[in-house]
Amino acid sequence: MWSAHIKLGLAKLQLAAALVCAFPAVSWADEVTVFAASSLTDALQKIEPLFEAETGHDLRLSLAGSSKLARQIQMGAPADVFISANTDWMNRLEEEGLIASETRRDLLGNALVLIAHDPDTPPVTIDKSLDLPALLGDGRLAMALVDAVPAGIYGKAALQHFDLWEGVAPQVAQAGSVRAALAFVASGATPLGIVYETDASAEKSVKVIARFPAGSHPPILYPVAALTPVKKPAVSELLSFLDTPEVQDIFTKAGFTRPAGQ
Amino acid sequence: MDWLTPEEWQAVALSLRVAFWATLFCLPIGVFTAYALARWAFPGRQLLNILVHLPLIMPPVVTGYLLLIAFGPQGGLGALLKETFGLTFAFRWTGAALASGVMAFPFMVRAARLSIEAVDPKLEQAAATLGASRAWVFVTVTLPMILPGILAGCVLAFAKGMGEFGATITFVSNIPGETQTIPLAIDLALETPGGEGRVMRLALISIALAAGALALSEWVSRRVAARVGGV
Amino acid sequence: MTLACHLKHAFPGFTLDAHFEVPEGLTVLYGRSGSGKTTVVNAAAGLLRPDEGRMQVDDWLLFDTAQKAWLPPHKRRVGYIFQEGRLFPHLTVAQNLRYGHWFAPKGATPEPMDRVVNMLGLGPLLHRRPAALSGGEKQRVAIGRALLAAPRMILADEPLSALDDARKSEVLPYFERLRDEVEIPILYVTHSAAEVARLATTVVTLEDGRVTGQGTAAEVLGDPSVTPLGARAAGAVLEATITKHHPDALTELNAGGTPLFLPALAQPEGSSVRVRIAAHDVILSTTEPADLSALNLLPGTVQDIRSGQGPGAIVSLDTAAGRILARVTRRSAERLDLKTGTPCYAVIKSVALAPQDIGG
Repeated sequence: MWSAHIKLGLAKLQLAAALVCAFPAVSWADEVTVFAASSLTDALQKIEPLFEAETGHDLRLSLAGSSKLARQIQMGAPADVFISANTDWMNRLEEEGLIASETRRDLLGNALVLIAHDPDTPPVTIDKSLDLPALLGDGRLAMALVDAVPAGIYGKAALQHFDLWEGVAPQVAQAGSVRAALAFVASGATPLGIVYETDASAEKSVKVIARFPAGSHPPILYPVAALTPVKKPAVSELLSFLDTPEVQDIFTKAGFTRPAGQ
Repeated sequence: MDWLTPEEWQAVALSLRVAFWATLFCLPIGVFTAYALARWAFPGRQLLNILVHLPLIMPPVVTGYLLLIAFGPQGGLGALLKETFGLTFAFRWTGAALASGVMAFPFMVRAARLSIEAVDPKLEQAAATLGASRAWVFVTVTLPMILPGILAGCVLAFAKGMGEFGATITFVSNIPGETQTIPLAIDLALETPGGEGRVMRLALISIALAAGALALSEWVSRRVAARVGGV
Repeated sequence: MTLACHLKHAFPGFTLDAHFEVPEGLTVLYGRSGSGKTTVVNAAAGLLRPDEGRMQVDDWLLFDTAQKAWLPPHKRRVGYIFQEGRLFPHLTVAQNLRYGHWFAPKGATPEPMDRVVNMLGLGPLLHRRPAALSGGEKQRVAIGRALLAAPRMILADEPLSALDDARKSEVLPYFERLRDEVEIPILYVTHSAAEVARLATTVVTLEDGRVTGQGTAAEVLGDPSVTPLGARAAGAVLEATITKHHPDALTELNAGGTPLFLPALAQPEGSSVRVRIAAHDVILSTTEPADLSALNLLPGTVQDIRSGQGPGAIVSLDTAAGRILARVTRRSAERLDLKTGTPCYAVIKSVALAPQDIGG
């Protein structure tokens, strides 16, 4: 009878399900997509294979300027996790209900440095008496977009803090991202530039000639958050993985700081 | 007119200036290259053809980077031009024009080449038998007949110049008033929270300018074709 | 000797090896398609650079490979009339005409524009563009344009072959005028026997890239072994004078004392014309024909009979009007027992003579 066939089929199904549950290690390999600020490029590329080896999940990285990434997330990009280079964009997304607030925290800190192309440039002190136009000559100061990209926004704020912005503004060359600004200095197209400390240590062709004191600009914080809706357990695995000493060590070596209170 | 802010007008004016000079730069070099590729046989012809098409197939950022290396403050060509002609390209609108010109170059060459190849060489032969040297044949016979094609090339080059982004920002960066053309201004507005309004305004103006250029070229093209077609 | 030509050039599958020297006037290069005629003319114009050779018009050297001398086309001062006209589409007729004039060297004295315009009847066309002209009109402008460039030689490459019969008859007389009124040597390429008959001062025949004969039109066309287009094109060329235009649309001519009747001609009484009589339009009779519809009966003596493998034979007849060729079957020639010296009558229908076979 056909009812007997159905019963047999169901029994087989139950057996299969039981077997699957008996071996929890045999679970799907998930894919986690992380949108992260470009200044995290080198560090995250080192972390990627470690995460994949540890958890078996596949990590996909999309690295660009935080502002571009935030726009894409606003338009529905399929990201699971967002690491921004400043809090403004993260706040925006939180307001729009795009992130899971309970997962948000400040992951890293960074510092702003003044870099030079020529290795013989002497170090300088950044204060009100710094004559940047004289240092630049007829060259330019490379910065990320000063009204849009976090590194540029911080840089402009720092220069304004020391009343140096007005004097140097006409000589600023705004690049699309902090990495692009770094490239200008590395190639020698511009003699000086303002980038993150982490960028400067990643690039051999530039020399750090000054560090902007922490108080001269809003704190550079890298908030991290999962994007709603959180469906994959792999996401929380990633978020906790980022806190492990192994990973924190990589960040520190790259020049990032641990924000207070973490 | 307060439909656009002063910075936006600045971007529009700069875009027009950059696109105009980019087209002007492409014109003689592009037509000459097209003629050489269409009519002459010489070693390295295929290589030249590939070189001409490189800006079409390379990522614009790569083109911009190569321009930076060659024409930047540290570049060999850049230093040479500065010494000989006092011409600087790095971080100046001239560099934006150069970037647009280089990106638009393949379009100009293709359009010109197509129309040169359409000119019956027998007519050029006839002109030669009537006493015209090669140069005169070009001026009196070939050139009038390829004008519609050149015009098409100019429109394409102008449109490309108005829309060029990747090479420009990589080569000359985004400097308001100097290199911030419409596409760079739009990109900046996209990255700024609340910049959507500016994006739309600038995009609309871009479209209007391109449509105007196209309409003008169609009209001129018809007039020229009528003359050549013989009505 | 006016034009001396020595040419050797190898093409894939074909070699041109042509040598000839011709006097003033209109020289026709006559031969089948592909026999090398256009190559000779292109070499004269400088549009082709031959492997080996020399060409000279009077004392003016066009090229000499032995001396490594080579005049580029724009310095050659040859007026080239192409088969397709090749008028400049973006210029008016007047501008096309003046084109060569503009580039003529300072010492050159071209024909006056008015004279050329009148000679070719171009007055009403001057402000038109080539696209608005008929085929015949285009060729006339092409002739004028070549002439106004003050050339030292005129080249014409099958200028009438792209035209229909009516246009051909319209333009052919202009070439006759060119030959008669302008003192420049003309090199004219054609594969049409009618054009040869009407235009040629001298004919050079070409076959497979080699010169196979040279002579007047009558000599070449009248000799079937020489005429390269074979027996079909063979025919006689007679010189005749118009005696009278009859009211029933016939014109009477006098060819060596013998009357000829042709459909009415335009030329006035008293003018000389050349008449080409194709061999296949001639019937022979060994007795004096009576009560025939044909009006032209020419008594003569058989001079020669040539036959080949096919059914036909060409009979050359000496008449008072000149040498006449008749194409008959071999069977008929045997049946009538035609031999050298046999008296014979040539019968020619008046209406068989096509207008293009009759020229000034």
